[in-house]
Amino acid sequence: MGPHVLGWLAVACYCGAEAVATVSLVRGRGTLYRLAPVLVAAGLVLHFMDLMQRARALHSVPYRTLGGSVSFFGWMLGIAYLFLLLRHRERATGPFLIPFIILATAVGLMLPDAAAAPGQGLHGSVFALHVTLAILAYAAFALSFVLSVLYLVQSRQLRRRQTGLLFSRLPPLDVIARLNRTSVTVGLAVLTFSLILGIFWAEKVWPSIADPKVVWAVITLGVYGFLLWMDRRGWEGPRVAVLSILGFGVVLFSYTVVNLYFSQAHSFR
Amino acid sequence: MSAGEARLLLLGWSLRGGTSSLSLRERIAFSADETKEALNRIRDQGLVREGVIVATCHRSEIYGVADGDAPREQIAALISEWRGLDPAELAGSSFYREGADAARHLFRVAAGLDSMALGESEVLGQVRSALRVAREANATRAVLHRMFESAVAAGKRVRTETEIARHPLSVPSIGMELARKVFGRMSEHTLLVLGAGETSALFAEQAVEAGVARVLVANRSPEKGEALASRIGATAVDWNAVPVTLSEADVVVGATASPEPVVRRADVEAAMRARRGRPMFFLDLAIPRDVEPSVAEVYNVYAYGLDDLEGVAAENRRRRAREIPVAEAILEEELARFLNWFGNLAVVPTLSDLQGRLASLRDAELARIPAEERERFRAFADAIANKLLHEPLRRLKAEPDASRKLDRVEAIRHLFHLDE
Repeated sequence: MGPHVLGWLAVACYCGAEAVATVSLVRGRGTLYRLAPVLVAAGLVLHFMDLMQRARALHSVPYRTLGGSVSFFGWMLGIAYLFLLLRHRERATGPFLIPFIILATAVGLMLPDAAAAPGQGLHGSVFALHVTLAILAYAAFALSFVLSVLYLVQSRQLRRRQTGLLFSRLPPLDVIARLNRTSVTVGLAVLTFSLILGIFWAEKVWPSIADPKVVWAVITLGVYGFLLWMDRRGWEGPRVAVLSILGFGVVLFSYTVVNLYFSQAHSFR
Repeated sequence: MSAGEARLLLLGWSLRGGTSSLSLRERIAFSADETKEALNRIRDQGLVREGVIVATCHRSEIYGVADGDAPREQIAALISEWRGLDPAELAGSSFYREGADAARHLFRVAAGLDSMALGESEVLGQVRSALRVAREANATRAVLHRMFESAVAAGKRVRTETEIARHPLSVPSIGMELARKVFGRMSEHTLLVLGAGETSALFAEQAVEAGVARVLVANRSPEKGEALASRIGATAVDWNAVPVTLSEADVVVGATASPEPVVRRADVEAAMRARRGRPMFFLDLAIPRDVEPSVAEVYNVYAYGLDDLEGVAAENRRRRAREIPVAEAILEEELARFLNWFGNLAVVPTLSDLQGRLASLRDAELARIPAEERERFRAFADAIANKLLHEPLRRLKAEPDASRKLDRVEAIRHLFHLDE
């Protein structure tokens, strides 16, 4: 099979899901929307098979390369979408979240897999868990980013008395805020655990754990920890949403710039 | 559209179409007992074989199934004589539909397309009770019964499959809808109503019905406030404690006659501190305002006035109106189904349907026996079927009473499952 045929089929499934989710959100009735999770689930299966293929080709974990890691991030976001829909019956977020799944997956497929030399000690279950959890945390923060943007949009519409189609379709502020809180809490817990695992594992393999990535992970934890704290202290509302958007900026910076240019240990080399 | 000689007809007076004045409509409004009496009179005179009268605040409509020529003038004359109205005035202000158009009108009424508040749901119950009253008066048989049930089913379909009944139009329901957009379900929230006048009562009542966890009522004169609270199952709070009570309230509705604002910005800021920033929603329905306009600038506070709600109402009316074509398509589909059934009620199509049904049963059985014997058995089966059907069909064709004939055709269609 050619390079990433399965991966591109997965992207096609996600695009189909986006179309279905958008049309059913605009129409606001009918049972068409039920097709969206089915398509996403099918995409996730294909996507997973693509990741496995990549892992075999790399003789390592699929997120050994930047492309693989971004693609895996997209996969985690897909899981988050299904969770949101099946656990919370939240339909309105789909059309805004699925584009990120498509984007991450497609970018992951297009980035070239540089022939990476087998990294030193980049295997073993602790390492695998560390990276998986880190990417899961990023997916949770990405979800929080989408929810925060929706929160700001909905709050602004309420203020400006814009009670149009988007207003009637988006969930209540309280629902968005609660989902956002859950998502940040999960991201924070998972990232903390991943950080501990990483330090534990690095102590055995590296001479020193002083890596810029560790610093940025701590900054990320700080931003989201502050967010949750302020949320309880009376910042509930638009300020928390803005902070969450800023937090995701830190995540993106840490994921791209720090990984590629600053960190030795997280450079995909 | 007719089944044999049966004809659908509708004679109506509607306020909405501007065909009749209010005073006239008042004089031809029917109570339940009057409806029964009117139906009896019309049927006693042999004008219709079935009848139903739909009477709502905006319309009086007489639906009937008549034989042969439609007795429009006779029915109008009977009503004018009974009610002591000038026949010319009555006839001039009425509207008349026949056949498919009569049925279509009923379907539109049931769907709320003919209502003042487009898509309102009350009319569905009124159509249903019109059928019930007519049945109690023994005025309906197969045709109108089916027509009304189909109309009610079509009306329900329109309401679930379109948004024609979804966007609220009244001020209290728009207010609740907006509050829900902030807080989600209101079952864990507190609503404070300021004032105990008509608007306050309406709103508090709606909030209790909508399942708001706690409804508080504050009024300047405590007796009135307590009376309202105990009537609707809310809690009365002291008027002077309103600034303090604010921190407990997620939604505050202002509808007092107070000449100056009751809710000050400083009170809201203090309440928000006590609430740790949890959002608040203010609905100011009072003129002059009960809530200081600058309250809307407080962080995480949303405030709506009467003008805003009216703006939303206008927007929602437009959104309902956009659904009309979809609703009409659904109605036409359901109408076609009913008219198809009605058209089949004539004797000839029913006979051919019945013969077709027997032939297919016969063929299915014949397929199970060896081919060389089929011819013999076919003749045998046909002989039995013909003998069995001969007498019932002869009696059916010879039935002199047209209504009874229609009922029997309907019974055959039902018993032999011919409409599937």
